Amino acid sequence: MSERTRAETIAACPACGEPTGPGDAFCEKCGTELAPAVVSTGTPGFVPSCPVCSVDPSIPQPVAITADGYCESCGRKVPTGRDHTELDLGVLAGVTDRGIRHSRNEDAMALATAETPAGPVAIAVVCDGVSSSPRPDDASLAGAQAGVRVLLNSVRVGDGPRNASLAAVRTAAAELAGLAGPGGAPSATYVSLVVGPDPVPGAAADSGPATSPDPDVGTGPDPGSDAVTADSPATPASRPSSGAVTVCWLGDSRAYWLSAEGSRRLTTDDSLAQEMIAAGLADEAEAMASPQAHVITRWLGADIAEPQARITRFEPTGPGVVLACSDGLWNYLPEAAELAEHALPAAGTDPLRAARELVQFAIDAGGMDNITVVLVPFPLRSSVT
Amino acid sequence: MSESGFTVDIDQNQYLPEGGRTVSAVVTVTSADNMTLPGGPAAGVGGGPGSGSAEIIIVDCSGSMDVPQTKMASARAAVAAAVDVVRDGTAFAVVAGTSTSWPVYPTDGTMAIANQSTREAAKRAAAGLRASGGTAIGQWLRQACAIFETHPAELRHAILLTDGKNQHERPEQLNAAIARCEGLFSCDCRGVGTDWEVAELRRVSTALLGTVDIVPDPAGLAADFTTMMENAMGKQVADVALRVWTPQHAAIQFVKQVAPEVVDLTERRSQSGPQAGDYPTGAWAPGESRDYHLSVAVNPAGVGQEMLAARVSLVASSASGSEVLGQGLVRAVWTDDTELSTKINARVAHYTGQAEMADLIQDGLEARKQGDEETATAKLGRAVALAEESGNDDTARLLAKVVDVVDAATGTVRLKKAVADADEMALDTRSTKTVRVRKEQA
Repeated sequence: MSERTRAETIAACPACGEPTGPGDAFCEKCGTELAPAVVSTGTPGFVPSCPVCSVDPSIPQPVAITADGYCESCGRKVPTGRDHTELDLGVLAGVTDRGIRHSRNEDAMALATAETPAGPVAIAVVCDGVSSSPRPDDASLAGAQAGVRVLLNSVRVGDGPRNASLAAVRTAAAELAGLAGPGGAPSATYVSLVVGPDPVPGAAADSGPATSPDPDVGTGPDPGSDAVTADSPATPASRPSSGAVTVCWLGDSRAYWLSAEGSRRLTTDDSLAQEMIAAGLADEAEAMASPQAHVITRWLGADIAEPQARITRFEPTGPGVVLACSDGLWNYLPEAAELAEHALPAAGTDPLRAARELVQFAIDAGGMDNITVVLVPFPLRSSVT
Repeated sequence: MSESGFTVDIDQNQYLPEGGRTVSAVVTVTSADNMTLPGGPAAGVGGGPGSGSAEIIIVDCSGSMDVPQTKMASARAAVAAAVDVVRDGTAFAVVAGTSTSWPVYPTDGTMAIANQSTREAAKRAAAGLRASGGTAIGQWLRQACAIFETHPAELRHAILLTDGKNQHERPEQLNAAIARCEGLFSCDCRGVGTDWEVAELRRVSTALLGTVDIVPDPAGLAADFTTMMENAMGKQVADVALRVWTPQHAAIQFVKQVAPEVVDLTERRSQSGPQAGDYPTGAWAPGESRDYHLSVAVNPAGVGQEMLAARVSLVASSASGSEVLGQGLVRAVWTDDTELSTKINARVAHYTGQAEMADLIQDGLEARKQGDEETATAKLGRAVALAEESGNDDTARLLAKVVDVVDAATGTVRLKKAVADADEMALDTRSTKTVRVRKEQA
């Protein structure tokens, strides 16, 4: 039940065979999307079956599986294609897993790469469905899918990473609001990464969003965060164009910068634990030990009308790896230095293998929650593998 | 509300500790106020059940109905009151019962179709009823059965009135007659006065998915008959069953209706598939809501695993086949988080208490009859505590007529020295009435 999607060097349209250029998002001839986002929707062609009854010779085969995923014979919830998914786009990779103690994987992730005039940009979204809300698995998938779609389109047209990130989280929020029904509001955390060079001024976007201050108030920066106030144009003359990391989030899914020269957490949790720490009521260890530690204070979902997503920009000064993960990982390795110790140096050259190893570490440590790990080596390697 | 006009809601704590095997849930079935069922009973005049329904009124005409004389007169008036409520187009009949039974109206043993003139004719026939003879309720039921079978109706309902014990046939004869009627019609039973036996009449009403109650004063019969017939006229969907699918190697421990009153359906199962059984719920009116308590023992799976412990479907059967009206899933998830697995679902706990209260009252009254005062005091005392705790004020009031309550919270009571028969029988018949607890409180 694992998926390995490796982006090939694009030289020809996979649909019609038309030769394509390195920066093309769509085939000039047939319009096929050349480097589409990949999402952990489950293994393609996955057919659910009961692991117990399908091999029981005393039971007439095939054993039916209900539309809601239960074995018609023994009633077991059967594994879905989402239990374990691996996505590999070369320049970044991610692994998501059910873990041990949860009956399904309510995490989701989406990855994409965009070729821009300034160079390749890596895009990732990780969402963790809120277990106390209805259909958290649908919520996380919808959030990741909507977020990556907007990010990819925005980056392709030359929007700056900040505006692209805010537009994406807004769309994801609207998408989840649309899932609400009489049963309640499906909810999820959200963290997005945009890693790469800023757009070349005037290269793609004629004006406006890429270079002007963001006038939006709906999903604006939290005054308390270390958000930048606007996308600033890249200045290739004064700096090598390896670029920056833009992180946008709601809830307690995290992003980290891991480097031999010093690692740090890039996000601040929207959680009661974090509020206790911020208010000086507890230190981190005490706060995380409290039963309220994982109660989040912001999320995507219809029950929060206009979530105030936070955004931050980080400009690495040397090589390293950007990590986005759900709490299924960081519960076991909260410190950036610990994560770096486990992930480096492998993550810098083989992000898929390193992501697998981090997921396995969390499973071996107890697997109490769903685990999602996305790794982006920095500076971005060439997308050619 | 689903297209069928029914909703099925499941309330449970799905979390089980490692190795846990008992899954309990409260299933709430609600019919919409504007419920109509395609292919259901044809709508008659005024939107009622019309020609799709049939009613029989069964009146005790044994000699004791003349003691006092007002009893027979009140019974005649009650039949007339009920006939007045029968809607135009409904098939109906009136049956008299002694140690035998005969059709009073129509006299040929068929059913009349209600209209102004047939209702008047039925009332004239009922006015001629006289008391004389014995009591053989099984005979009455068989007579009703034969008459119902002369008319094709989907909704069949009877009202049965008696004032005495079933003295003129053996208990097995009554049981055989009940079995003959099961599934063919539903029956609300009433005992007038205090010389009849609650357990006997309850056997009839339970098997025939109806109610049982005491009417201590014959003067109250007409109003009670009117209410019963009005309720019957409100029914729209016949033969609704709860179909319960369970996984292999699972065992259903019980299926009980728990609101508006406790009716144990466990033994009423009829197999409807390799892993499914149907439990009858009878007929439904628009805007009704009933709760069922389901308990299933499953083979435990590992921590982190989820299992479908039961799929509860509401199924309507008619001549044209069966139709699923609604569905709910009872789940089991094994966890090592004791905070989750030890959480008690408030509604499951509430109805467990209400069912226990009904049993305690019936057992306590039986012990009192047998002269075992110690057992009677203990059981009725515990029932008082449960009634108090659950806010079942009606039952608490009925209990207070049989015991002196010293402290309701702890269930400390003393048996009253003198208890009116009517009070004791009222407590017995109404012991199964429950109160509901809102889902928000759960």
